[in-house]
Amino acid sequence: MKHIIIIGSGVAGLRCAIELSHLGIRTTILEKQSTIGGKVRGWYKLFPSFTSADDVVGELLRQVTSSEHITIRTECEAVGITPHVVTLRGGEQLECDAVVVASGFELFDARQKEEYGYGIYDNVITSADLEDMFNRRAVKLTNGGSPRRIALLHCVGSRDAKVCQHHCSKVCCVTGVKQAMELKKMFPTADIFNFYMDIRMFGPGYEEMYREAQADYNIHFVRGRISEVSPTIDNRLQIKAEDTLTGRPLKMGVDMLVLLIGMKAGASNALYESECNLRRHESGFMQPRDHFLGNTESNVKGIFYAGTVTAPKTIGESLNEAVVVAHSAAEWIKHTA
Amino acid sequence: MTFYDSFCIPFIVGAIYMALKVLWKYLSWLRNLPASDLKLIAKGLFTHRTLTATWEVVRESLLHARIWRVDARLGYMHTSLAFGWFLLIVVGWVETIAYLGFRWIPLQGHVFFKYFVPLNNITQHKPVFDFLMDALLLFVLSGVALAWWKRHRSRSLGMKRTTRHNTLDRVALSALWVVFPARLVAESITAALYGGGSFLTTGFGSLLDYFFKTSTLRALYEPSWWVYSSALGLFFLTMPFSRYMHIFTEIPLIFLRHYRLRPTAEEKSYDNFEIEACSRCGICIDPCQLQSQLGNHEVQSVYFLRDRRYKMLQQKVAYDCLMCGRCEQVCPVGINLNTLRLNSRVAMRNTPNEGRYSYLRSIDPSQGSGKVGYFAGCMTLLTPKTLHSMQRIFDAAHVDVWWADRSGGVCCGRPLMLSGEIDAAQKMVDRNRELFLEAGITTLVTSCPICLRVFRESYNLEGIEVLHHSEYILRLIQQGRLQLRHTTDSFTYHDPCELGRGSGIYDEPRAVIEAVGTLLEAEHNRRNAFCCGSSVANTAISDSQQQTIASKVGAELEATGASTIVTACPLCKKAIMRGSTTPVADLSEIVAESILH
Repeated sequence: MKHIIIIGSGVAGLRCAIELSHLGIRTTILEKQSTIGGKVRGWYKLFPSFTSADDVVGELLRQVTSSEHITIRTECEAVGITPHVVTLRGGEQLECDAVVVASGFELFDARQKEEYGYGIYDNVITSADLEDMFNRRAVKLTNGGSPRRIALLHCVGSRDAKVCQHHCSKVCCVTGVKQAMELKKMFPTADIFNFYMDIRMFGPGYEEMYREAQADYNIHFVRGRISEVSPTIDNRLQIKAEDTLTGRPLKMGVDMLVLLIGMKAGASNALYESECNLRRHESGFMQPRDHFLGNTESNVKGIFYAGTVTAPKTIGESLNEAVVVAHSAAEWIKHTA
Repeated sequence: MTFYDSFCIPFIVGAIYMALKVLWKYLSWLRNLPASDLKLIAKGLFTHRTLTATWEVVRESLLHARIWRVDARLGYMHTSLAFGWFLLIVVGWVETIAYLGFRWIPLQGHVFFKYFVPLNNITQHKPVFDFLMDALLLFVLSGVALAWWKRHRSRSLGMKRTTRHNTLDRVALSALWVVFPARLVAESITAALYGGGSFLTTGFGSLLDYFFKTSTLRALYEPSWWVYSSALGLFFLTMPFSRYMHIFTEIPLIFLRHYRLRPTAEEKSYDNFEIEACSRCGICIDPCQLQSQLGNHEVQSVYFLRDRRYKMLQQKVAYDCLMCGRCEQVCPVGINLNTLRLNSRVAMRNTPNEGRYSYLRSIDPSQGSGKVGYFAGCMTLLTPKTLHSMQRIFDAAHVDVWWADRSGGVCCGRPLMLSGEIDAAQKMVDRNRELFLEAGITTLVTSCPICLRVFRESYNLEGIEVLHHSEYILRLIQQGRLQLRHTTDSFTYHDPCELGRGSGIYDEPRAVIEAVGTLLEAEHNRRNAFCCGSSVANTAISDSQQQTIASKVGAELEATGASTIVTACPLCKKAIMRGSTTPVADLSEIVAESILH
């Protein structure tokens, strides 16, 4: 029986394994962390439908664990990849007929933008922290109180030459709108401001969400990046920004600042480039063989890519790619038999 | 005895042309000096400065002491060429006097003495001079051989890269390389035919005699002197236009420097002396990180000075420089490379709209009152951990602080100065200076070395002591006003350019680190420290290129094994954070963490 190794147990890796098992192909999923499910496990509701992330990951995990074709190995890091042998840290070698790299992305470390005070001031949190707070039903200020004014800052670690993250992370705009709406539902009297450079509502239903946020939720959108954050004497946060539509500088006191952190290329990508001869884009993400006719293939035949290992993507896009990869890989091993 | 032959013409023409051209250059540069510079010369001329300058001329123009310190082989090469040639001329003059007594002999008589006065024409032979002259010629030839070797194998002389020369320099260089071998051949043939000479010329002459017929040597005799004279002539003709202008120019430069003339923020005639004193030796190339870490081989100081000298300087060269000072550190001529590059930028500056900065007058963000002022600067406001640590340190030492710009303020002006915008910068300098003086502070502390430098160099803050926070913190520790816990933590330290090479502050931050933990030194430190790559002086390289430099610098700091990288500049901190996975902290942070209560 043919055997494919999938690196990464995020939604792309899981979906790919499921599709391959439907095709009668045995897979082994290698996960670096101790738990499977990837980053989506940490999210609360998913845009644009407000579907629970648990529902999505839960269904994938149910199918994966019930399939006899799928083996899962956690705390396994792949350090060498060829189409037929994957080497793990520690030296163990696994044989296979093809490899799917679905190792995903990293979250941008907001401490690099020290001027926003993450890790320095109370009540400066990231969008990932907020998802976790939603999940724990624990959205509150450090003093236990409820925020009266909240600012969400877009493009933290995206489209920012200063931290060498030139790319757009794609999902943060709509996440900012989603989180603003959720916060408004939770704190109906709070003023909520989104500070943005551009609002990129590219997906189905996104633009509608953006309109709804303004029309029905009274969420304010200010075009301008926050430049600095400083604490005030009464332990609030003072933010400085420029409202670029009116062309005026702006100062505002807020209780909570949410930094919409971007997607950074996976930490293993450098290793894939140096040790496995896989091509990497300047942005740090892996470079597919061809943008049109080989978008899920690497430059090495028999090694495939699924999900955010090649670029920032939505969950839906990652899941779709996983299906495509499963079929391409199945096709490939048929011909190499 | 007549001291003339037609073969002397190339030499005479070259020598006269060179003398007139060089003299003309110097006179026109001197004539265009600003009155203040002329006054300085008049003041210094009849003082000990002239004597110390003379001594430096011997040390540097002849012996090249500074190059010996870069590399002994390189030093020997320069000494043998410069000092060797000089001695050849001096001993040559003494030799003519010894043979012919004190009488006037035209220049070519001295230079081609062996031609005009071979052995059989004189009554009393003086072998000592023959020996001396041969030994000196060998000394110079060894230098020529090394120079030739360096062109092809620069690494063996301690230089990874050497200068790419232009056509004129190549012509002059070739002529110079031919001069001494040609002299050897001409004098050897003369010795073989007419006697005289010593171990070198007689020896080489016998060898020629052995291989060639005497008739051949006779046929080669005149042409060999023609070749020697022509090589000299060609070298002299090209000299005022090529790198070899440095040979003479370093001499007036040394005198002017001893009379306290310096390049300034705006271009002036004195700059010509510095620019043409550049020998294009290329020693400035290796230390340049834009070259070694980014592969940019067009912008180093040697090329900047060359472009400026030939009036073909482009913005992309003038602005593509970190101004880290690593090249200035090693320049054997001691040229003020940063100031010259800056005043080139100033010459290319924009004239700001006068009203543009009028709003500055209404800005006074200062808070508090105290005799000690603290200026965070823009970059510290972007690294607020430093600001908070300073607050904790001031609190612990019970210092009343006048906060100049805690919630934002007027820029110190240096970033604009570094891009040549001195008029705009002056507006900021004026406003900040006004605020400092009005506040009645006696000490001004800043955690930013960029601000520190401009406060010290351009603010003219009489009555206010300007301190970098590393100096101030050390003072608090020494006065017992700050009690710190010594931990087992290990730190490595990155010297910021503006603090180290720029302000000469190396020891204070190290002393502060050692008060709280162990200091592990990186390979390149103190005067040789690398630049973090994010210098505000460079507006040409991209953020990704800055990060490339930062990761190389970060890797070297991480190699020390220290658990935290410490620096004392907010810009360096931000830069190194982008290029390293080890935590990076400002000096104030590790101090604030160790305060004993």
